[in-house]
Amino acid sequence: MITFEHVTRRHGERVALDSVSWHMDEGECVVFLGHSGAGKTSLLRLITHEVRPSSGLVTVGTFRSGRISRSQRALLRRTLGIVYEDFRLLPDRTIFENIALAVRIMGKFAVEDVVPRVTHALHEVGLDGKQNAFPAELSGGEKQRAAIARAIVNRPAVLLADEPTGALEKKSADDILALLSRIHREGAALLLVTTNPAVAHALGGRVLTLEDGRIVAGDPHLPEDMALPSTARA
Amino acid sequence: MHVFFFREAWRSFTHHRGLASTAILALTAALALSGLFVLLAHNARVGLEKVGDRREMVVYLNDGVTPAQREMLMQRLGELYGTVAYVGKDEAWKEFSEQIGDPGMLESVGANPLPASLRIKLRPELLNYEEMEKASQQVSQFPEVEDVRYGGDWVRRLDEIKNGLVRGAITVGVVVALAVVFVLYNTIRLTVLARRPQVEIMSRLGASDRFIATPFVIEAMLEALIAGTLALGLVFLFHQAMAAQIGYVSFLPWTWAALFLGAVVVLGWLAAMLALTRVLRSVGA
Repeated sequence: MITFEHVTRRHGERVALDSVSWHMDEGECVVFLGHSGAGKTSLLRLITHEVRPSSGLVTVGTFRSGRISRSQRALLRRTLGIVYEDFRLLPDRTIFENIALAVRIMGKFAVEDVVPRVTHALHEVGLDGKQNAFPAELSGGEKQRAAIARAIVNRPAVLLADEPTGALEKKSADDILALLSRIHREGAALLLVTTNPAVAHALGGRVLTLEDGRIVAGDPHLPEDMALPSTARA
Repeated sequence: MHVFFFREAWRSFTHHRGLASTAILALTAALALSGLFVLLAHNARVGLEKVGDRREMVVYLNDGVTPAQREMLMQRLGELYGTVAYVGKDEAWKEFSEQIGDPGMLESVGANPLPASLRIKLRPELLNYEEMEKASQQVSQFPEVEDVRYGGDWVRRLDEIKNGLVRGAITVGVVVALAVVFVLYNTIRLTVLARRPQVEIMSRLGASDRFIATPFVIEAMLEALIAGTLALGLVFLFHQAMAAQIGYVSFLPWTWAALFLGAVVVLGWLAAMLALTRVLRSVGA
């Protein structure tokens, strides 16, 4: 599903990720735990191909980093659902329009399918009746639910969550974690990054601890052929 | 094209009314200027065509030419150059008398000295200096012909004016086209940058460049169309004012107006594509 092979990512002189290798299977739940600057966001940006590895290889499904074109990158992102700490909803559109945008971007559903899909996604995250609200009219927890609805509306293979509870108070955070946990149990792979150990362990997935761009704890779950150093395999 | 893209374009257009209005005003000014030049060129062309229609070649005949020879010559010249009319000595004198008007002066001329002639109304493709000069030399080779006149200098000057107008229209057209592309390029660039968060979110959701760009392209074409229509309206008002002052002024034929609008919309498309190709690479990472 997702594989990092000796991936290094540099920002100028600073090393954000240092020869990191790990793997996650379909339907699995993996949590990356680490303090700010540990390399969690770089890891997510490598998965979505916002940035390229300075060295090493990132594989997401059938897509491999390297010479991936912009159109292939768009196709890759359509296989992912992404949830951000700051929600990233479009403020000038209703919740319905925000979620419908993701359906239209997917480009494979008929116009008449948009309404039922969006309505179903809203129902799944418990936002029935909020479809005509604008993001500014919702609470933090509701905004994150809307963002999750947008992420799952196209039934992605993997749901990526970047500190999804970081901007929420405890009750809303617990609700969001419960929602993510349910979505994972229903079949979607879940990759979550967080600075909060309680959040990391609440989901019951495999927890990998990142520190200064390296995995320092947890099972990276490497396939046998990847267990060897890259030089030995070459 | 999906109605969704038009709705998105309209949303962007209304969301950035200030930017869109500024662009439309700037474009309208540039296009109205070029529209005025097109109107001028059109009227000059109409005027020159009317004058050009009167361009003819006069072939003076030797006095000894028989009617049979004359008929054969007329037939040959008709095949080669256009419509040929015979003007006899008496008819030529009559025309001359009407032009002079003063019987005293005519009496001083005495007997009719004017030769019979053939007047050739040349085919349109021969109505330029080079072709007329060539035709004149060819016609003068016929033994029945004494002299050929067609007002070479005048024809050459007319052609120079016509060519000058064409060059002027092309120059103004190119300058205005560049101005249109420049204004729309920057407008769309600024619009995309102003909507950077939206573009980034769409890109993260997996939107293709085409999906993101299409509403902006429609918006640019819409702005160009509005500016072009306003410019044509201004040109029409100018035309009305001129017609009231100097009498008949021809307005642009509808085909010209449609071509003008079509060209403006194509320029809008071109400018948007150029701007988006660059700006999406920096915004939609």
